[in-house]
Amino acid sequence: MKKVQFLTLVLAAIIAVSCTKPASHGDMSVSINYSVNGKPLITDSLCYRNEAENEFMITEIQWFISKMELQDERSEWVALEPKIFYIDTNIPESHAINITSIPVGTYKALRFVFGLDEEYNRTGLFTDPPESEMFWPDLLGGGYHYMKLNGKYLDTEGHLAPLAIHLGIGQNADHSEFYQNYFIAELPIDLALTENTENQLDLTMIIDNWFRDPNLYDFNEFGSAIMQNQVAQQTLKENGQDVFTWSVFEEQNNKDMKKEELVEEFNRIMQKAAPKPRFWSWENVKERVSSAASRHSEERSNTK
Amino acid sequence: MAVTSCKPEVPQYTPTPYDLPQPSYFPTKNNIPDNNPMTEEGVALGKKLFSDPRLSGRDGTDGIRSCASCHHREHNFEYGAPIHTHHAMLPLVNLAWNRTGLGWNGGVASLEDMVMAAVTSPVEINADTNEVVKYLQKTSDYPTMFEKAFGSRDITFINIERAIAQYVRSLVSADSKFDRYLKGEEQLTEDELAGYELFCTEDGADCFHCHGGGGLALMTTNLFYNNGLDDEFNDPEDRSAVTGSHWDRGAYKAPTLRNIAVSSPYMHDGRFTTLDEVIDFYSEGVKDSETINPLMHHVMDGGVQLTPEEKAWLKAFLNTLTDEKFLNSPDDSTPKQ
Repeated sequence: MKKVQFLTLVLAAIIAVSCTKPASHGDMSVSINYSVNGKPLITDSLCYRNEAENEFMITEIQWFISKMELQDERSEWVALEPKIFYIDTNIPESHAINITSIPVGTYKALRFVFGLDEEYNRTGLFTDPPESEMFWPDLLGGGYHYMKLNGKYLDTEGHLAPLAIHLGIGQNADHSEFYQNYFIAELPIDLALTENTENQLDLTMIIDNWFRDPNLYDFNEFGSAIMQNQVAQQTLKENGQDVFTWSVFEEQNNKDMKKEELVEEFNRIMQKAAPKPRFWSWENVKERVSSAASRHSEERSNTK
Repeated sequence: MAVTSCKPEVPQYTPTPYDLPQPSYFPTKNNIPDNNPMTEEGVALGKKLFSDPRLSGRDGTDGIRSCASCHHREHNFEYGAPIHTHHAMLPLVNLAWNRTGLGWNGGVASLEDMVMAAVTSPVEINADTNEVVKYLQKTSDYPTMFEKAFGSRDITFINIERAIAQYVRSLVSADSKFDRYLKGEEQLTEDELAGYELFCTEDGADCFHCHGGGGLALMTTNLFYNNGLDDEFNDPEDRSAVTGSHWDRGAYKAPTLRNIAVSSPYMHDGRFTTLDEVIDFYSEGVKDSETINPLMHHVMDGGVQLTPEEKAWLKAFLNTLTDEKFLNSPDDSTPKQ
């Protein structure tokens, strides 16, 4: 009887220990940015020129990303929640995405769907604005715009013409056949996600890249209305493969680093994570690093 | 016991929650404020106030008016003819789901605020709110109705605002032929379908970005656009008056197209009196300007360039947005003064 009691106690202790073990999950914030000609986007300013020599301005960008996943060291993909994010330059807070309950670990890649795939891109998924305002008429394939990039450009006659880069399901002339134009963006990253670290990822849309490589996209050729122009949709889909870049910014709570060390560390991470640093807004990045370093410095002062 | 039984009975304040109709394809988020939940009693009071000239706070023939003097149900709660206010009217339908401010420039934050603006405006009811409260307080019917709706026989203008706002939020139009088409209950004719195709395509009439469609069944984004009516802007009350942005010069709210056939006159200044004129404008009359909205894709051609046949199809589709049951409801036929 005593033996049974002893075994029961041991079993209870094991269960208790295993039940009280804290879940190993961390949080991550994703900051969305835009760059044009290597600098942060300025809306409503006719100050940009693309590879086709079109002078243009951007009024607003509204878009979806979905099915974000991180790839762990065993090459398994970990799905992140929620599944869909709506991002809108008219809604600044939509550019700060917080993702919670991610298993801690080291991640080597990140991928997401630009737009919405067949699983989610169904009319009626959203009834509330602003997402519902992205609807893509059923006659044109239904669902939602993947992206609306609205602005203006100077046409060949010097008129400020409307520019509406609207991406979504394409179709042929008689609407009898539809084409999925979403794509999966996959980027190598170097993310060591822990419980005690404020993990931040920066996602930047390099707007220039929509209009070059592998295809030159000339606004004068495609004009303003492209929802019914699958050639334009396909051209932008192909160009979109390298539109996004990521960087990782680890703001380590407990590490006592000098400002110079922090900048150096950050630059190291940036160079490793961002394959095309020439498109980055370094001024913006360094400003944030300096700000974080100042904060650390203050915290150190307060604890002395 | 005897003392207790002689006390006047204090009515309980137990309003009944109002069940706002919620079509499945309408937004789930509405603009009902936490401090003004809709109740049966509140809506009933608001409905009575909406149509009662005593809202002027005066009697006699001295220009007494109510909301219903100008907002006629059969005209989508507009006047149905040109009217001498600073701007044309906007319809009072489905406003429970409006999220972008009221008026052509969105400068009025809520329906409650809109009631205050309309009651005090010199070109509308032109009343003194203190006089309105005093006047209604003296009536035999209103104190009891306010008590049932808000728990007090003491009338306040805030509660007048709240009651009328509740009533206006209850005005839901969602039973047009197009609604029945969306629900699979009725088919559109070939002409109407051809018009819907034009409505929903960039290469057609290109209406949907601002005025919705099957995926945005309020038939408006409730957002603000310079749609190319003018190329010079002198109106100090366009959208730029609210945002301060140069790029909002000449921009106004895209009104819902529900019941558009009976919502004449059209545009913020009421410059068009028929749907044909409106369609002609979008087809051939769009004017370019620095601030025209980028969604006016066909401005460089002067418009979407519809043929006479296409114009007829588009008009046929727009007519399917008429909700006869709503417009002809005997529920509150609006008295005209």
